[in-house]
Amino acid sequence: MPYLFLGPWLLGAIGLTVAPMVVSLYLSFTDYDLFNEPKWVGLDNYARLFGDDPRYLHSVGVTLRYVAWSVPLKLVLALAVALLLNSLRGKGQAFFRSAFYAPSLLGASVGLALAWRAIFDTWVDTPDHALVTIVLLAAWQFGAPMVIFLAGLQQIPRDLLDAAAVDGAGWWRRLWSITLPMLSPVLFFNVVLETIHAFQAFTQAFVVSGGRGGPADSTLFYTLYLYERGFTEFRMGYASAMAWVLLVAIALITAVLFRTSRYWVFYGDGR
Amino acid sequence: MKAHKTVGFMLCTVLAASACGSGSGSDRAEIRFIWWGNDDRAKVTNEAVRLFESRNPDVKVSTSFQNFQNYFEKLSTEIAGGNAPDVIQMDYRYLNEYAGRNVLLDLTPYVGKQIRTADWNQGFVGSGKLNGKQVALPLAQNATTIVYDPKLFAAAGVAEPKIGWTWADYREIAGKIQASTGGKIAGSTDFGGTEDVFETWLRQRGKALYDNGKLGYTKDDLKAFWQLSKDFRDAGATTPAELVTTLNAGAEQTPLGKKLSASEHSYDSLYSGYNAVRPDELKLGPYPSDNKETLGSYRKPSQLISASARTKNKYAAVKLIDFLLNDPDAGKILGANRGLPANLKIREAVAQNLSGANKVVFEYEKSVDAKLGDAPAAPPKGDGAIYKLMQRKHEEVVFGKKTIDQALDEFWRDAEEALK
Repeated sequence: MPYLFLGPWLLGAIGLTVAPMVVSLYLSFTDYDLFNEPKWVGLDNYARLFGDDPRYLHSVGVTLRYVAWSVPLKLVLALAVALLLNSLRGKGQAFFRSAFYAPSLLGASVGLALAWRAIFDTWVDTPDHALVTIVLLAAWQFGAPMVIFLAGLQQIPRDLLDAAAVDGAGWWRRLWSITLPMLSPVLFFNVVLETIHAFQAFTQAFVVSGGRGGPADSTLFYTLYLYERGFTEFRMGYASAMAWVLLVAIALITAVLFRTSRYWVFYGDGR
Repeated sequence: MKAHKTVGFMLCTVLAASACGSGSGSDRAEIRFIWWGNDDRAKVTNEAVRLFESRNPDVKVSTSFQNFQNYFEKLSTEIAGGNAPDVIQMDYRYLNEYAGRNVLLDLTPYVGKQIRTADWNQGFVGSGKLNGKQVALPLAQNATTIVYDPKLFAAAGVAEPKIGWTWADYREIAGKIQASTGGKIAGSTDFGGTEDVFETWLRQRGKALYDNGKLGYTKDDLKAFWQLSKDFRDAGATTPAELVTTLNAGAEQTPLGKKLSASEHSYDSLYSGYNAVRPDELKLGPYPSDNKETLGSYRKPSQLISASARTKNKYAAVKLIDFLLNDPDAGKILGANRGLPANLKIREAVAQNLSGANKVVFEYEKSVDAKLGDAPAAPPKGDGAIYKLMQRKHEEVVFGKKTIDQALDEFWRDAEEALK
């Protein structure tokens, strides 16, 4: 009986996630053009990725730069706004929380990216600025981490902060010595989540660059290049290999983040 | 426990019943027809399809359309998913890409029978053939052209494009226009990244984009072409770098559509798009050419129509294709929306009753017809990738990221890779 109730989820998880992943792993070792039977080519796709495709390495560079800029920027903004809202207790906090969250609700929407494209018209069309606009677009959608930060801030016992104030600690001192350590599990959660999201960014870059990763490949995100290889050049085996490399890379980076967390994340239970 | 079982049983019964309910009730053949285009085209195409349905009550046609940018991505996904549309609008550039992968139905047995071609230019029929197989039929004809704003030409006191003008003339004229607007409006739109322009220019020099599936030109040819585009930039006769990326967008986003340029290389079949954003302001003229004999432009199938190799209703699909190509009433509805109709009788009938954008297109084609060549064989697999590659490498040159020689080497390596 329990399996009957688990059934719908289990079917979905196997049919829509596990099975396609297994198939794509298989395809990554083949030459597959979408229409005809895949041909087994062993590790060829992987070898070409790293040995014979400068554009691939370029797309890795663009993506890393995007992650390195957008994640910290977005989190700092989210934290700043959360601190601001937290100090507003009761005084319209709910309203401003919704207002700041709104851009994120529209986040993945094509319409918003189109509007962004129109606003930053000439920036988007110059190679040195195009990536900056996409980073700004991402940072502006800080709503989700902001709401999580806010919830975390409200969990911090007030007496700790009050006691510190009585002892003469200023605002910065309280932030640094009490708020941030108490908030570190939430911060850690946000860093992991936003990093993973940033690696998978697609919609904004696709829309802003008109699907091409241009101008002059300056916004050729990893996912965009994957899409181009798979769906416009019919190299689905190659695209599958790219997807698996991305998956493994994200898993590794997440593992590293978890490893470092023991040095800076404070769970308050003496660990 | 018992209650759960009862509910579960009832649920299953309901699901099973509804599954049955949606089963087939009629004998009507159902086919799906997709194309790319805009609302304008959708309106006339759907009207023609409805007429087809009223004449053939045993066939039901469902239709859908996309813009060109997303069309082929959607199509390839649908075909790969085993959900191929039955009747497919095709692009010359992608013909080999799809037919070479055995996705398109061989229409050879139907040509001249169920699909009538007696009133066609037979050379034009052949443009839908690959390796002796008729994998598509051209829907309409178009040709490369210069779209321009005559007011700006007049204001600068320069001559409008006419047969016999050269690239040097163009550069000089464009430079004067740009100077006369104080540099606010460019004299021409930068063309160096557009493979269609490169092809026309190559043909003026007696060469072609492809020769038996290999590149039909040398590094020096492309270098000279990029140099030509650079000469325009150096002479202050063309658009600035940040407008170079807008060329693959719709007419409303191109420099000419946005009134940032006075003239632009394009196809005459796109004129109705330009006319929608700049009504009655623009004209069509011939390409500049340094060769007295030819303009380099040719009778190109602007779009083709194919059937899926996996269609379950070959008969209905073929019938719809013939109807769209050869029925006089369908011809009347479709007009010159996709370019000049392929069926010459229909083309004549449409020409009798012209207005607006259709008229401009027809008159342009008439004025250059004597100088137009026949279409070359469809480009090989990989041309889609090379098209984008040329754009990208040219952008890198324009933005000063690469020298022409560096871009050329990289272009060559990647282009040969794409053709493998």
